[in-house]
Amino acid sequence: MKVGIPRGLLFYRFYALWKTFLEELGADIVISPPTNKLIIQRGLTYGVEEICFPVKVFLGHTHYLKEKVDLLFIPRMVSFCKGEYNCPKILGLPDVVRSLFQIPQGKIIDDEINMRDKGILGWRQGYINIGRHFTSNDKKILSALQKAEKAHQDYQKKLKEGFFPDNLIDHRPVLQPQKEKVLLLGHTYLINDSHINMGILQKIHTMGYSIITTDMVDERKIRSALQTIPKPSFWTISNEVMGSALYYIQERQPDLKGFIHLVSFECGPDSLVGELIERWLKRERRSIPYLRLEIDEHTGEAGLVTRLEAFVDMMKWRVEALESNLSSSRPS
Amino acid sequence: MKATFPHLAHLNVVLEVLYPALGVEIVPPPPITKKTIEIGVKLAPQNACFPMKVTLGNFIEGIEKGADTIFMAGGVGPCRFGYYGQIQRIIIEDLGYDVNFVLIDSPRYGWKKFFSSLKTMTGGKFSLLQVQRAVSLAWKVLRFVEDLEKTSRSLRWRVKNATQLDALIEKYLVQMKKIEAVHQFEKIRDDAFQEIDALEKLKKPEPLKVGIVGEVYIAQEFRVNFNVEKLLGDLGVFVDNSVSTAEYVLNFLPFTRSWEKEEAWKLAKPYLKRFVGGEGIDTVGSTVRYAQQGYDGVIHLYPFTCMPEAVAKGVVTQVVKEYDIPLLHLAIDEHAGEAGLVTRIEAFIDVLEMRRQQKQKKEFYKIESR
Repeated sequence: MKVGIPRGLLFYRFYALWKTFLEELGADIVISPPTNKLIIQRGLTYGVEEICFPVKVFLGHTHYLKEKVDLLFIPRMVSFCKGEYNCPKILGLPDVVRSLFQIPQGKIIDDEINMRDKGILGWRQGYINIGRHFTSNDKKILSALQKAEKAHQDYQKKLKEGFFPDNLIDHRPVLQPQKEKVLLLGHTYLINDSHINMGILQKIHTMGYSIITTDMVDERKIRSALQTIPKPSFWTISNEVMGSALYYIQERQPDLKGFIHLVSFECGPDSLVGELIERWLKRERRSIPYLRLEIDEHTGEAGLVTRLEAFVDMMKWRVEALESNLSSSRPS
Repeated sequence: MKATFPHLAHLNVVLEVLYPALGVEIVPPPPITKKTIEIGVKLAPQNACFPMKVTLGNFIEGIEKGADTIFMAGGVGPCRFGYYGQIQRIIIEDLGYDVNFVLIDSPRYGWKKFFSSLKTMTGGKFSLLQVQRAVSLAWKVLRFVEDLEKTSRSLRWRVKNATQLDALIEKYLVQMKKIEAVHQFEKIRDDAFQEIDALEKLKKPEPLKVGIVGEVYIAQEFRVNFNVEKLLGDLGVFVDNSVSTAEYVLNFLPFTRSWEKEEAWKLAKPYLKRFVGGEGIDTVGSTVRYAQQGYDGVIHLYPFTCMPEAVAKGVVTQVVKEYDIPLLHLAIDEHAGEAGLVTRIEAFIDVLEMRRQQKQKKEFYKIESR
């Protein structure tokens, strides 16, 4: 049976898990190609105007796959952390796909994976429900899940070591580490889709900075950093973004020169969480510059480059100003 | 303690009954105006949804009027509403105002915090019985206010003098603010409905029927949505609004959802399988219900970039196709202009009128050819 996985949204996070799990169950996997102009065009044509850009891209990938496969794999990732949610758009994603493309009920694997109340039991139950599309043998499903979780751990370990999904999925060359670092905040589907972010990873790297992303920060450090604010948000990914930002605000690493926050224009969670990060940065460490880069289908590459270059200049000025004690800003 | 709170349609009437009964001094924020919106837009994050900006404007205006405490509700997500309070508190702190931000959040985030906020919000020193009495009175007022709004919506197309209707409703809302006990409430309620019944009405042919669905704030807050209901009523349309504050409150408590809400959720299931936060699923379900009840059209009101409503907007396309019911999406934010909105609504009503005539023509010929 041919199963299609659209290359968008949570794909970059669960690539290893989903791939191993489905392959263990005997499915033939088709992954849509890296985002290109045509896919984006399709997504824009069929998508709802107000939905955020990554979802539109996801719709484009789904459109690419829908005639080529027997089953579309769009699990409803309600929550993958206890007590938290994902963004409503991810919660309703299978339904949106079904309505917009008129896909019949049975052609989408849209079983709910919900760890919000039940924790790991909800996770396991979700995958068992998915597995039942392929086999009625629960034991086989559980052993497949175990293997998949193992693969997921390895994948995450690689990400922690500083590899990007790009290197692991498409085997692109690894970026060499540099002396100075920049913290690149944002959702994994924005940072790792080099077409929609216009190769920001490469660009920052050629400007002479190596990149830290949320994926590279230890989960426990994120959680303990989150304790310092009155109430963490209820979106897992945004919490991770906020937690890594807070962690690096407290950590005061001297080689970390700036924060770049990559957001898509209509991202709901990031509109609030981004504000919080910005304000916290202003309160606690004014000496670190912060850049908020908004991306949507109208973003031009030239504009992005200009803003990045200006930001790099600013980071350098801050350093010079601090070194010569001519502080143009109030150092914390 | 002088407390202020956000506006939501006529919720201020209810709160102005509730808090004096609990012995809490309140400073109602001034009515929402262009200035409120300007303040909110200036201070709030640029991409935050519109209700957050307007409520922030309310708080600032309330503080300037002399409030030193803010009452706000929190939530557990996944809609952004649950996080408004946190961000607003930080913004107000950064502005340097010295106010006590009382945020009632779900007990999920700690029972102790929950009870301490609840205690502040109910005046602290009062006995459970008194609190219960005040809340039940306020609840009655809320129901009454919503009934009044409902009557106004459904009558507007056929009363002879619509300004008279507005004046009546305004009069009773003002009277309602001053009540202290249940017997006063009942008298005012009976008077109000009697007087509205006595209004002169015109005999008109069957009107066009339009249902309103959408996000709880924008679909109700008439000062923000350019009073869509009134506009429709003046165009001679019978209006029903599926959104209600009372329902919204009930939704938070366990096992109190009304059967209408349950029904809407059931109707939405084939299209949207689960709750996606906010009113996403209600929007879909209510659209299906309006279609089944033979409404001529549906208007979907929501703040621009609202996440649950964006999902609903995607899903509802299927409903529109299956039931062949016209649906007008109206996204409201600080950039929405009244003239553009009015033009769109007028055009929408024209479309509905034309569809009705065509339908009648078809039926007429069917009978002729028999």
